[in-house]
Amino acid sequence: MAIKKKSGSKASSNGNRTVNKAHTNGNRNSSLRQYEIPDYRLEHPNFSVHQVRKGDEMRYEVTGDLDTPVPPIRDSKYLDKKQCIEIYRYMLLNRRMETALENLYKQGKVVGGVYFGLGQEACSCASAYALDKDDWFAPMIRNQGSLLVRGFRASDTMMQYMAKAGSPTKGRDGTSHFGDIEKRNMVSPISMLGDLIPVMSGVALGARLQGRDVAVLTYIGDGGQSTGVTYEGINFAAVQNLGLVLIVESNEWAYSTPSEMQFKCTDLAERAIGYGIPGVIVDGTDACQVYDATREAVERAHRGEGATMIEAKMMRMKGHAIHDAATYVPKPLFDFWKRRDPIARFENYLVRETKWLSAKENADLIAEVEKIIEAEREIAVNSPMPTPESALGGVYCEDGCHAIKPKYGMPKVRKGSGGFKETEAAVHLK
Amino acid sequence: MAQLTYLEAIRQGIWEEMERDPTVFCLGEDIGIYGGAFKVTDGFIGRFGAERVIDTPIAESAIVGAAFGASLTGMRPVAEFQFMDFIPCAMNQISNMVAKTHYLWGAPAPLVLRGPSGGYVHGGPFHSQNPEMWFVHNPGLKVICPATPYDAKGLIKAAIRDNNPCIFFEHKYLYRRIKGEVPSEDYVVPIGKANIVREGSNLSIITYAAMVHSALEAAEVLKNDGIDVEILDLRTVSPLDREAIAATVRKTNKVIILHEHSRTGGLAGEIAAMINEEAFDSLDGPIVRITGLDSAVPFSPPQEEFFLPKVSEIVNEARKLKAY
Ligand SMILES: Cc1ncc(C[n+]2csc(CCOP(=O)(O)OP(=O)(O)O)c2C)c(N)n1
Ligand SMILES: [Mg+2]
Repeated sequence: MAIKKKSGSKASSNGNRTVNKAHTNGNRNSSLRQYEIPDYRLEHPNFSVHQVRKGDEMRYEVTGDLDTPVPPIRDSKYLDKKQCIEIYRYMLLNRRMETALENLYKQGKVVGGVYFGLGQEACSCASAYALDKDDWFAPMIRNQGSLLVRGFRASDTMMQYMAKAGSPTKGRDGTSHFGDIEKRNMVSPISMLGDLIPVMSGVALGARLQGRDVAVLTYIGDGGQSTGVTYEGINFAAVQNLGLVLIVESNEWAYSTPSEMQFKCTDLAERAIGYGIPGVIVDGTDACQVYDATREAVERAHRGEGATMIEAKMMRMKGHAIHDAATYVPKPLFDFWKRRDPIARFENYLVRETKWLSAKENADLIAEVEKIIEAEREIAVNSPMPTPESALGGVYCEDGCHAIKPKYGMPKVRKGSGGFKETEAAVHLK
Repeated sequence: MAQLTYLEAIRQGIWEEMERDPTVFCLGEDIGIYGGAFKVTDGFIGRFGAERVIDTPIAESAIVGAAFGASLTGMRPVAEFQFMDFIPCAMNQISNMVAKTHYLWGAPAPLVLRGPSGGYVHGGPFHSQNPEMWFVHNPGLKVICPATPYDAKGLIKAAIRDNNPCIFFEHKYLYRRIKGEVPSEDYVVPIGKANIVREGSNLSIITYAAMVHSALEAAEVLKNDGIDVEILDLRTVSPLDREAIAATVRKTNKVIILHEHSRTGGLAGEIAAMINEEAFDSLDGPIVRITGLDSAVPFSPPQEEFFLPKVSEIVNEARKLKAY
């Protein structure tokens, strides 16, 4: 593991925090400090996007080295054959589900738009796969694959898009905006980017007060990470040593804005240094790298060692949403990343490199996935629309609709004998 | 029964809930060893430990977000805002995350956001506000504004036990200025129930928080004029106690609505509309609003006094309304 284990860092409360040496190298008093950002990638793409003028028009242009060969998949330190095939299957399900959604949209069955994780399936699926059952996660819009890994059905997401009565939110919200705090430990996202980060930190805080160090996984984009709440949330997790596993989906674009206009540092993982937490870079199109880095972060979280930031480099291979043809994206950039399609790469790894899947087994797997998605599509399409009156109710938790109880057991609290005394101290304003 | 200040009543209420329920914990800025800017959590860290009395970074969105996340695991966080003037820094968390969560995806958020609000202490534009209306206009939240030590303690306990996100506005002018009887045995004051703090027959003043005390003062003056004032203390401003509002209007037929925050888009407008719906036929005069001005709360004492509702104003408006 590239991340050095931090010594004696189980600071369960504020106030006794040790200096985080997780990624600092050498002497704090030296005039030149060095920090480590482990980089799991087997290639280091070198190009950038700029605004250029073409006559009366402004466009984006990419310059740099775009003809480099596609690297191999990096063998996982942890995954065995069965697990690799399982992740591959989820990635297939993820992509076929989104193809089905695209078709449903074209048939006019979707309310609103459709968001795709095309090109990011390895990132969503392999990261979610690295969680244990008691861990928590919260997806962002492109992590529809993570939901499948965590046990939601494709029809759940499809019904959300179609605003059906049978959707997890019963029509009240769309896309992957739903959650489950009972079984699958998923927090529902809201549209506003970054706000899940402090929330997930709070989940880890709640669990720790109940005696459990859980990992809490969420995602943020290269665009979304510019928000102030991202800073607040990561810093909170860092200071409190909470098991946040933050995947930064560095996918070149934020709607139509290239990452060059979003931040100034070379790699977003560098931000981790400022927070005092480990930062790691992975190739987001390589499921094994994503898994390994996430698993290591999850294990750190389980040991009570705090947060980790993982930057996954990849590319959003469609527009922002279905309405957006992404004509602003320079074509060579698409070509570069098309050759790094995460599913094609993983398929090659499993069928040709490792020979863990025969061509026949692979074809059978794809056929099985297609059958599942077709059946899920049927379920989703056949769900009725909600009644108008179902807009009513549920604003408040009342009449015993939920029993609140600590998920991991009653917190053990400091024993003591009351001792409440009135206070006379001076106050801020009289 | 002990005589406690408003501040001590709140402090005791939170303390008792932390003694009673291990899932209750506090977080906020400077609330630990320092005990909070107003000392509401003074001594808590010694008794309950740093795990349950957490000094946070200066990050209001993180405070609310973390409180919400912890509540999803079944905890009951009590988050302090150093001043309620800073609550808009966490507006997105409160409005889009916390308030909508039960309606949208069925997750309860049993948390309390509390802190000092209100003027009359020369705190200036950023330490004097009453931002409760931003939250009244947010379905899914409960908004509580107590006026007395008894209610403050009973309501903070009710808020901590409630399964919904509650925003608890403490009035900093009242913190150490008023004392009242507070029972030592456990009790709660129900959220959403108003209280008649003074019975009367000629006209009603509907108000809450520090303005209850101004109304009481005005009522004493008006008594000498033979005007018998009823005062309804709302205690909770969301959800509003419609029945109590309608009942007092039906009884006295004349209403003044009194609040400290700015007039336009203020609570008085909402209550006036509610009276139209519930008790229009009972009105014998125009609904009168006495409110803060439509500006920021100015700093200099003469300006602040001019901005805020005054007892003399209440007396004058009541006389006019009685004569109407
Ligand atoms: C705080 C906030 N501002 C604006 C938006 C509108 N918006 C939605 S997605 C998006 C682009 C996000 O880009 P990025 O974070 O890189 O994620 P990606 O779409 O690339 O996965 C924008 C601007 C938003 N959801 N939240
Ligand atoms: Mg992006």
